Amino acid sequence: MNRLIDIGLEQLSRLIFKMGDLSEKTVSLSFDCYLKGIDVYEKVQVWSETLVSLSEEAEDKIVELIVRYQPVASDLRTIKSYMKIAYDLSRYGRYAWDITHIHKRLNIKLNECRFPWMPLEEISGKVLEMVQASIEAIKKHDVDLAKTLNTMEREVDEIYYRCLDKLVEQSPPLTRCVVSTLLFIRHLERIADHAAYIGESVIYIVTGERISLR
Amino acid sequence: MVNDAKVDIRNLNIWFGDNHVLKDISFKIRENAVTAIMGPSGCGKTTLIRAINRMNELTYGCRTSGEVYIDGHNIYDGNINVYELRRKVGMVFQKPNPFPKSIYENVAFGPRIHKMANGRKLDEIVERSLREAALWDEVKDRLHDNAFNLSGGQQQRLCIARALALKPKIILMDEPCSALDPAATVKIEALIRRLSKSYTVIIVTHNLQQAARISDFTAFLYMGKLIEYGETKGVFENPRNELTEKYITGKFG
Repeated sequence: MNRLIDIGLEQLSRLIFKMGDLSEKTVSLSFDCYLKGIDVYEKVQVWSETLVSLSEEAEDKIVELIVRYQPVASDLRTIKSYMKIAYDLSRYGRYAWDITHIHKRLNIKLNECRFPWMPLEEISGKVLEMVQASIEAIKKHDVDLAKTLNTMEREVDEIYYRCLDKLVEQSPPLTRCVVSTLLFIRHLERIADHAAYIGESVIYIVTGERISLR
Repeated sequence: MVNDAKVDIRNLNIWFGDNHVLKDISFKIRENAVTAIMGPSGCGKTTLIRAINRMNELTYGCRTSGEVYIDGHNIYDGNINVYELRRKVGMVFQKPNPFPKSIYENVAFGPRIHKMANGRKLDEIVERSLREAALWDEVKDRLHDNAFNLSGGQQQRLCIARALALKPKIILMDEPCSALDPAATVKIEALIRRLSKSYTVIIVTHNLQQAARISDFTAFLYMGKLIEYGETKGVFENPRNELTEKYITGKFG
């Protein structure tokens, strides 16, 4: 026989998975916007806002589950972690939106600012992979997959700091390009952090252990 | 986990006739803390707390092996004075069970038969006990009323005062709130927390949320075995045993 709380947990999971799918699409689209100049500014804005309202919906659901059922053990860990994960997923959306802003805000044309030494494809590819892995880990409660985020996060950090060092060496005429690139990789680095947070939450749900993946 | 143990239970086995009710239970109970014992009906919770003041032996056919140390003395040693033991280890039951006497006489009864006090001294014990049980202000002007005129929650606090009057070290409580409404329950729970500053409280409860609210340590019994024992936060957040997880989340059976 199903427990009453299972019905609520099921609804909550569906909501989180929906957020996962939407946030992945949002992030991926924002990278296309920055790297390929595809105009998706409005779409990403709408999706980012949708993610925020879904995260509020998840929070409401969570409060209701706590009030009604006073969850314990794995129920408690799941509910507590889904609250955090909903926030992490809404941050994916927010950074994606910020990424679509950059060129517009600084009035930069596509390919105007390509530093040949800057591995933008590599770092954005890795970050997208992290986003996908984090969402897959939530859906499958996959601890091993969650743990792989640790290595990926370190790789992203490594590229990020290497690029930072080179960016500060650029001379003044390139300032706009430096700022643009800096903002992009900074948002990428933040997205990677949230992917790692999600991995930590998944591990906590399944094992109860709190380990750092950063 | 528990170093300053007030009660140290070692390899405790209890049978009622052929029924092996407690199976090789060993754990230590911390002084001046609340320890909750939870588990499904018939798992041995009540038998376990009744082993701590040797109440089980009042039941015909009860056989016990193992040791229960209180302050380092095995209470199952032949030379233990059982009446003195039960004075040191008070008990509060599921249903409030005041004597058919006045409020005053309910509390004075124990000290009187143990010849602890009389006269002014006895009055002092009654007042102290009623104050400790958070009942004094409600009954101080009607101490000679019949105890049955009190509400259920007040009767239960009177029973706690009656136990406290004997200056026990340990208070055993067997589902002390299960017959009470939420308002009376809140008062008893707050009282239990306060008592734990000066007494070692061991409580049997069916109400998991109550165990989570008031206890420092939680033991989970299942079919006579101690399945899990630990700090309450850990047991309710991240139980180590699959059976505990199933029991507290209601996935049992």
